[in-house]
Amino acid sequence: MPVITIEGLTKRFGDVVAVDDLSFEVDQGTVVGFLGPNGAGKTTTLRTLLGLVAPTAGSASIDGRPYRELTDPIRHVGAVLEASSYHPGRTARNHLLVVATAAGLPPQRADQVLAQVGLADAARRRVGGFSLGMRQRLGLATALLGDPAVLVLDEPANGLDPEGIHWLRGFLRHLADQGHTVLVSSHVLAEVAQTVDQVVIIARGRLVTQSTLAALTARTGQLVRVRTPQAAALRRLLATHGTQAELAEADQLTVAGTTTEVVGQAAAAAGIVIYEMTTEHSNLEEVFLELTKQGGGS
Amino acid sequence: MTRLVRAELAKLRTTRLVYGVAGAMAAFAVLAVTANVTAAGTQGNAPLSADHLPALAATPVTLLAGAALLLGILGMAGEFRHQTVTQTFLVTPDRGRVVAAKLVVYSLSGVALAVVTLAVATALAAGWLTAKGMTPSLVDADLGRVAAGALLAAGLCALLGVGVGALVRNQVAALVSALVWAVVVEGLLVNLLNAPSLGKWLPSAAVAALTNPGGANLSRSGGGLLVAVYALAFALAGTRFVVRRDIT
Repeated sequence: MPVITIEGLTKRFGDVVAVDDLSFEVDQGTVVGFLGPNGAGKTTTLRTLLGLVAPTAGSASIDGRPYRELTDPIRHVGAVLEASSYHPGRTARNHLLVVATAAGLPPQRADQVLAQVGLADAARRRVGGFSLGMRQRLGLATALLGDPAVLVLDEPANGLDPEGIHWLRGFLRHLADQGHTVLVSSHVLAEVAQTVDQVVIIARGRLVTQSTLAALTARTGQLVRVRTPQAAALRRLLATHGTQAELAEADQLTVAGTTTEVVGQAAAAAGIVIYEMTTEHSNLEEVFLELTKQGGGS
Repeated sequence: MTRLVRAELAKLRTTRLVYGVAGAMAAFAVLAVTANVTAAGTQGNAPLSADHLPALAATPVTLLAGAALLLGILGMAGEFRHQTVTQTFLVTPDRGRVVAAKLVVYSLSGVALAVVTLAVATALAAGWLTAKGMTPSLVDADLGRVAAGALLAAGLCALLGVGVGALVRNQVAALVSALVWAVVVEGLLVNLLNAPSLGKWLPSAAVAALTNPGGANLSRSGGGLLVAVYALAFALAGTRFVVRRDIT
């Protein structure tokens, strides 16, 4: 059952089309990476989903209803949009208390979520003195305040140091394990590749593909690298099987669209000596770049 | 709605803005009363007497409306400046109710600001007069009128400020517009055109009528009514604007 539904969504800012007839769904309990280069329309899509931006056409809904029609929305959906949206003079705890008051949540929730994101010690410090990593954590704490089943995170890894990214990955994994539905945007596939079940890739406001991460990986194909003193002979042999091999070095072939088993058996049957054989997955990031380039190509 | 009003109060309490403005007004009250008391009886000023209490208490009121306006502008436009408006509207997507809660809280804050200012000014003036051997009365119709005018002016100006802040959204631009309006448009231009009959209908003149009636100004009640009209018009326009805008 889809929790988040984006249907024919279009958003124009003046002459600029930020989102162009975009449709996708996020099913309950899945962690979906919302990917695309900077300026692809990710933030606009998420802000439309959260009722902050009015769509030019189409719709975005959560549990079948527009965000603005949800009663006490932060009990359904937690959102982290940007790391800078705090009053610098307010303490972390007071920031959460303000949100809790407006949402009718008990004040104890503020302390609970601060502990959850590891900010309990900084609770009474002004946010103005916080590092970017601490702000992101406070953002997550705010999102978790209403104990929502759905989380929408816009570039949560932006500006984080490696330790922060590591923590974030673990935290997202933890949320996913608890059965949360998570839509997390990023312009870097690697940031979310370890966490997400599915990816929605957009470029220039349009959907490029929605698939499972596994399917995307399969789409990248794999390369078999062979080291053999009879490289030229093996190359001719594979060509008779309809497999193209390229001579990488004098004694090395790279073969696409096959497996080590196929190459090994063919070589053995022809009496070709093989010193070494390895499988290489082509870089997921390259596929992502390729896809987003194509998506913007019209 | 109670929740939202409480949340707006919590916002106001948890930053230094309101304490800063109240502190500045209290300091100005001390300054204004002291200056007037020491100047009394010299250079053609009338000497002090016990019935000067209302006039002395009213001395800081000239700045009060401006301070209340500033509070309202910073309270509303500050949400845009610090982008806290995103979080605010995530929690409460019904933006009209958010602005309504702000209007309630800030008009009350304006009244509270007036109470602090008048309390400081009245206490100091009464103390000073008593020290000089006079017996000023705190139960006084004039003092009551000064207080009523100041409280109403401050409350309405804070309301006006929220409306201006919602329309302009940029703190600095909003403050500069308000200042330019009061000083250049209403101050210079009206004088230059020599049109007091037109000038008295403008916002600053209406506020002045409310706090200091007489002269070219409207009557106190007329001024009060006009300020209320301006404040409500800006509040409504600001609310409509914020409700429709994309928060990007």
